[in-house]
Amino acid sequence: MKKVICSLLLLFLYCGNAFGQQSAEALIAESAAFLDEFFKNRFDIRVAVIRFENDSELSDTAMQKIYQMLVSRLENGKNILVSDLLVNFADGRGEFNLSRVDDLHYLLDLKLIQNKSKTGLGLTIFSRLQDKIVAVKYFEEALSKGEMELLNARNFAFSELGFSKLLEFESKKNLMDIQSITGDDGQEQYFFYYPDEIVVYLAREMRLEKSFQIKLEWTRPVYPVLHYEGKLLLLPTGQGLVLTAGNNFSPAAKVMAFHDGQWQEIQKIDFVPCKYLILNQNPYLVGGRYEEGKNYFKDKIYFMPFSDPANRSGIYEKKITPAMALDFSIREGQLQGVHLIDRSYNYHLFTSEFEEKIPSPEKRGASLAALGGEWLAVSDYSRTSDQLFFYDIQNGGQRPVYTGKISGEIQFVSAGVWQKIRGFWTGVWQKRGDPERFVVQFWGKRNG
Amino acid sequence: MAKGKWLLLPLALTLIFAIKPYYGGEINIRLNEPASFNLNTANYSNLIFYSLIYENFFYLKKDGEIFSNVFQEYRYIAASKTLNLILKDNLSFSDGKPLTSKNIQVSLKIFMGLDLFAASKLNKTVKNIRASDNQVGIELLADTPDILSLLTAPELVVLAENEQSFSGLFYPQEWEKNHHLMLKANPFYAGGRSYLDKIRITFAENPLPDIFLSNPNQFKDNFREFDSGIYQNIYLCFLQGDIGQNTKIALFTLLKRFNEATGFKYRELHTLTADEESPVSIRIKTLSPQKTASILKSSDIKLYILASLSNLEKDLTAFLKSSNFKIETLFIDDSQFMAFLNSAAIQYVLIDKIFQKKVPAEEKISRILKESSFNQFNARTLRMLSELDEVKFSNSQELLMEQIARISEAIINDGFIFPLFQKNYSLYISKEWPALEIDYYGRPLLQKTGKNND
Repeated sequence: MKKVICSLLLLFLYCGNAFGQQSAEALIAESAAFLDEFFKNRFDIRVAVIRFENDSELSDTAMQKIYQMLVSRLENGKNILVSDLLVNFADGRGEFNLSRVDDLHYLLDLKLIQNKSKTGLGLTIFSRLQDKIVAVKYFEEALSKGEMELLNARNFAFSELGFSKLLEFESKKNLMDIQSITGDDGQEQYFFYYPDEIVVYLAREMRLEKSFQIKLEWTRPVYPVLHYEGKLLLLPTGQGLVLTAGNNFSPAAKVMAFHDGQWQEIQKIDFVPCKYLILNQNPYLVGGRYEEGKNYFKDKIYFMPFSDPANRSGIYEKKITPAMALDFSIREGQLQGVHLIDRSYNYHLFTSEFEEKIPSPEKRGASLAALGGEWLAVSDYSRTSDQLFFYDIQNGGQRPVYTGKISGEIQFVSAGVWQKIRGFWTGVWQKRGDPERFVVQFWGKRNG
Repeated sequence: MAKGKWLLLPLALTLIFAIKPYYGGEINIRLNEPASFNLNTANYSNLIFYSLIYENFFYLKKDGEIFSNVFQEYRYIAASKTLNLILKDNLSFSDGKPLTSKNIQVSLKIFMGLDLFAASKLNKTVKNIRASDNQVGIELLADTPDILSLLTAPELVVLAENEQSFSGLFYPQEWEKNHHLMLKANPFYAGGRSYLDKIRITFAENPLPDIFLSNPNQFKDNFREFDSGIYQNIYLCFLQGDIGQNTKIALFTLLKRFNEATGFKYRELHTLTADEESPVSIRIKTLSPQKTASILKSSDIKLYILASLSNLEKDLTAFLKSSNFKIETLFIDDSQFMAFLNSAAIQYVLIDKIFQKKVPAEEKISRILKESSFNQFNARTLRMLSELDEVKFSNSQELLMEQIARISEAIINDGFIFPLFQKNYSLYISKEWPALEIDYYGRPLLQKTGKNND
């Protein structure tokens, strides 16, 4: 295939720290610096906060932010392995998952205290191996009333510490999904899935260069749509790279493989594959089926054995709620949970056994994606401007961690990698400008 | 509408789909019951109904932009005097049957055979229509770069070979005669499936549906009001040549007095179409009450009235009764009228015609001549129509106006039709559907109408 090189205009945006949380961040910075110093000559230290109490006028939300800031700082330490065991904050106290404490070397106990003019953070380090307290430290900063209000507000944005927008560029409209894979030469290839083609880009330093494109021919029945939706999946197999491409305008998803120097369709699947996972030591494709021509998935999840890409027998299904958005959190190949937003814009979490956990009462904006078994990104149920919510899902819960403002309407969210940073791609439709623009953004944790 | 409300409207429209839109739901529209599903856009009600089940070749936006849901590309090549229309890939009719270039070719030929000015003009412009693969080539007799504008006529729609296949946004699912008609979303609609699942078309007055036509300045609380561009003209026709001029004027005067007595529900009409667009104003001098009474007192008049004017029945009957004249009113169904005309010597008839402002004046005059001259239609009428057709192609607005004036005068002088009243209609749309708009021709745009996400 003729290689076509063309550069996309990339606009790299590094968000400024504009949230007025300087004193709180300073408090965290001092604490983190102390811990860095304390663990300086130790290696592969496994640490976790296992208690966090609040004796200040700050809210549980503010506590959660402070906790998250500290954990994010510690994650930067090369010799520290931080376990995030927080399950929830309630009534001035953190609730932690203590079942994994035996794996840790050091336990951290935090206490937030307030005196007349300042707010302090008490830090106690307990060595589990020595079975004793090895350090106690207290830091304090003057937190203004405004900063306290900001911390107490339901806003989880910490640009320097959490997810931030690392990349933004304009794309052709109707982009449905982005997936990437590391090539044999170690170079990252990015597959942009449009209704009529898949365009493959190569990362060249901080740019994307078009490498080639795969034209997609769809056959009847085709259901014309007002809103294109689709999922792309890349599967490295023993027979080479295989991709699947499904959508809401064709009832059949394509399975394509690279043969004889070109991409060829090797079979069709009558559902849209979303993820590849291992069940009972067998590889499976898992996905859903869009309501024809509409923007939501029907009420079934399909599992298809996928040891041989050309074989599509043995498909079985599970009943689920019709979903505006659907994704699967997978850890080490195993299904952890099914995340979806129903047609009333409510988030639902199903376990790997397809038992539903309590649905969230808050409405969401019908786009979501899970990054492994660690993070979940969900768009907002907003009429004026959109935003992304990032949740920590590592311990089976759904804990809000960060938010990021988006100018425009989020069309899709998918998990991905940019410059070795794991995060989320978003497709955003910006209608308020002239002309309208379709923008791709990458949100990741700059500290990795 | 207050200025503030106008300001709120665009705001509502920009915010309505800030999140993923909801698919589903049903909307109710009140229309006249169609006679069949075969295309017939003779009146406004039909214009709306058939726009729901048949797809236009091209649409004209309010800002003048032309677009198509059926063609992915359309290009006029001056050198070969050909307009090439390239169909989108994999299009289907509502039953899943392929929508091909052959369907486009046949649909275009059917349109060109219709008795419409736009159709006859196109007929005189086109030399040949070729269909191949996904392309249709329209070869023209002369270089006509604005050929595309001729293809925006609302009557030019995509027809299937099978009567049960539809190209429009919806297709008929269930029809309970005299009660309602249910339309279902066409999953193969070329422009992309509608958010709504169904449209319920009701024919009854009550309860109030989501969309309907009615007199202006009503229902302010729960409905948004649009100028539908629709007006209804009422004419008094004299179908026999032996009616005396005095009787004609006396009956005309009596009906004018009826409008006055019932509070001027209708505007006075002084032309055959609309006063704003007509080059002539027809002034028929009314008689004094005494003279009217003396002429009509010995008359025995049977006034036939089309059923589409049945809303007049109560007031008119009471008015005529109070005037003590021997005038009997008989309401007759529109569809049976022509057959009834052949079997009875009808002298006096009250008819109505509904027009859309956007339709050219010459098209309206032509319709009046063809549809309202009844047994007065003769070789002279035919000649006037032909002359009108010729003048239309002259592209001279002056000549066109002259011809319209000549026809109007001739009709009035012949004394078979007197214009009486005009009534404007507003289109009311429930505030439950804030994103719903109407197009250039006054048709509600239902493709992107959806349930409010709140």
